Amino acid sequence: MIPITHFLAVSACIFCIGLYAVISKRNAIMILVGIELMINAAILNLVAFGRYDKVHYGGQVFALFAIVLAAAAVAVGLSIILMVYRKYKTINPDQITDLRD
Amino acid sequence: MMELLYISPIHASLAVLLFPLLAFLYQAVRGKRGQSGIVVLIAIVLSTISSVCFVFFQVWQKVPMESSVSWFTVGEHTFSAGILLNNLTVLMQSLVCIIALPVHLYSKVYMKGDPGIHRYWMYLSLFCFAMLALSVANNLLLMYVFWELVGFASYLLIGFWFTKDAAVQANKKAFIINRIGDLGFLIGIALVYTHLGTLDLSELFGKQSPLFEQLTILHKERWMTYAGLAFFVGAMAKSAQFPLHVWLPDAMEGPTSVSSLIHAATMVAAGVFLLATVFPLFNESILLVIAIVGTITALTASYFALAQQDIKKVLAFSTVSQLGFMVVAVGIGAWNAAMFHLVTHAFFKCLLFLCAGAIIHEMAHAIPASSKTDPQDMRNMGGLRRFMPYTFTLMVIASLALAGFPLTSGFLSKDSIIIATFEWAMAHGGAYLVIPIVLVLVSYLTAFYIGRMIFKVFFGKPKLWTDEKVTVFHEAPKGMLIPMAFLGLCSLFFAFSFHPISHKNAALMQGLLLHTSFQPIDSLHLFIPILLICGSAIGWWLGYRWYVQGKYPLKENNLLVRHARQQGYINEFYQGIIVQSTLYLSRGLYWFDYYIVDGFTQGAASLTRATGRVAAWVDRYLVDGFVNAVAQASYYSGHLLRWVQNGRVQSYMGFAFTMVLFGILYLVLR
Repeated sequence: MIPITHFLAVSACIFCIGLYAVISKRNAIMILVGIELMINAAILNLVAFGRYDKVHYGGQVFALFAIVLAAAAVAVGLSIILMVYRKYKTINPDQITDLRD
Repeated sequence: MMELLYISPIHASLAVLLFPLLAFLYQAVRGKRGQSGIVVLIAIVLSTISSVCFVFFQVWQKVPMESSVSWFTVGEHTFSAGILLNNLTVLMQSLVCIIALPVHLYSKVYMKGDPGIHRYWMYLSLFCFAMLALSVANNLLLMYVFWELVGFASYLLIGFWFTKDAAVQANKKAFIINRIGDLGFLIGIALVYTHLGTLDLSELFGKQSPLFEQLTILHKERWMTYAGLAFFVGAMAKSAQFPLHVWLPDAMEGPTSVSSLIHAATMVAAGVFLLATVFPLFNESILLVIAIVGTITALTASYFALAQQDIKKVLAFSTVSQLGFMVVAVGIGAWNAAMFHLVTHAFFKCLLFLCAGAIIHEMAHAIPASSKTDPQDMRNMGGLRRFMPYTFTLMVIASLALAGFPLTSGFLSKDSIIIATFEWAMAHGGAYLVIPIVLVLVSYLTAFYIGRMIFKVFFGKPKLWTDEKVTVFHEAPKGMLIPMAFLGLCSLFFAFSFHPISHKNAALMQGLLLHTSFQPIDSLHLFIPILLICGSAIGWWLGYRWYVQGKYPLKENNLLVRHARQQGYINEFYQGIIVQSTLYLSRGLYWFDYYIVDGFTQGAASLTRATGRVAAWVDRYLVDGFVNAVAQASYYSGHLLRWVQNGRVQSYMGFAFTMVLFGILYLVLR
């Protein structure tokens, strides 16, 4: 049986890769992908901890719930990116600085 | 009819002053166009007429008159300016007019063709105005104003030929030495005003004034001595008394007619006139000082006159010497004798100068312009008797008057002084007898030096022209001879007294009668004149033997002669002691100023500068550094925070995660 520590370590690695992608990528799509990775790391944690709740399978339920939420969030994110592209003719977040004002 | 002709003496006296003043203004306005001097001549003629007819005869031996207007007010005291007419002032005013008139007439011919003649007339009028006003001023302050003006006008006249360096030096010298005297006069005025509260002459010295009684008591006070001394210093400078006489010989650089006027009745007489005016101020001790200074002056000047080669310098020293006589007369208390001698001396000294002017005029014409020969040097003259007989006669009359021969006016006045001095000395006894004895000696010397001048100029052979038939010399023109003849007549006894040998009968002496402190001694009135006449006659005889017959060949380089010719080295003494020491002192002060005072200042300045530099460094690097460091710190922290707010979503996110990381670290490490 694989101990939970390995799950958590893999999850932390995925989270960090996702975080790195969110912070450093020059493409909004890739940022969305980074966000997906971070959500996936969280889901992996949920599933790993779900092993200790064999009565309700609360972890698995939360994982499903998070997957739906992530799909919805990506849909919203993609639509935002489309609108941003329409306005700025670019999806490089470095050049989109209007959030400042 | 007589009432119609009557003019108030006050108004007439004012007119006497105004004519020369108006002439001065006219000449000043006309400038170079007014060369003829007619207006000036008319002015002086009118002045003379009104002075003699309407002032002198109206006031002389009658009640003194005074008229004044208020001048200015200081505090509660009002100063008045006005005219005071008494025997003394009207005598002085008329004398100035009577002397100035022939000098003006003479100048008309003498100064003809001078390029600056318009200035000459202008200055001469100014001078006459100042002197006439000085003589009738009614208070000491007003007198001082005109006293200064006389000094200034004489400065202009002495330096009339301003292109000559010697003339410029001479007028500066005259002016500066007169300034010393003026300072004395001013101090005297201040002392009198401080202690007596008035400067009005009639209030001070009038016989009715209560102050007059008071003065005799005040004589014991010390300030009175100082005041007398101060006034005497004023008179010393103007009347060229011994240590301050040096300006007068140099003043010969002016035109001869000017010398004549200055020496005769006006400027140098002003000192004696002042002494006579303020006479009641003098107490015993100051009178003795005056007598001693007068004696020294008379002796030294006659000694210097013995060896002068310049004809005008002989006469200049003669004037100084005669002024010494007058000052002695004031010093012994017989100021009436001083005034008498002043009046007689005015005529014959004026005549002597005018004659000398005539001779110099001829000499200057005869000497070719290219040669450097000095027309005033007596060594170049000689034998002029044949060419200028009238001038010769007149000059001899004037010389005899100066030497004090009987039948001349000089005999009367000089004897009056010497006899009075003897009487005074007899009354005091002892060492006081030195003064009259010296005066007798001076009288002999006078006879000798004036005889020497006559013999050198008029006798013997012409020195420059050995040719006997030389015709370059002519008698002086009539325009010069007539004024000279008039003065010649006035140099004789009958102009002053009908008794040829007794000065007691002279109208002037009776007019200025005063009671002296000493008793008259009758035997002296016979003895002294005989003594003087014999001595003077011997003096002339010696001079004749010496200079005409060449019997006692004079050694030129005798120590005494050299000493006398150099005027006793007094000028050199002044140059060495006063001028040089002043220069050294100035140099010392300059050094002190430059190195000590300036050095201190500059040291302080550089110290301040160094301190400033340190302060600047501290300010720039420490104070500013701190302030800038604070500023920079807030700048960078602000910059850091601003960088976060760059509007990029990724950096917000990074920042958020960083913060979370720090939060976790904090929680972990706590």
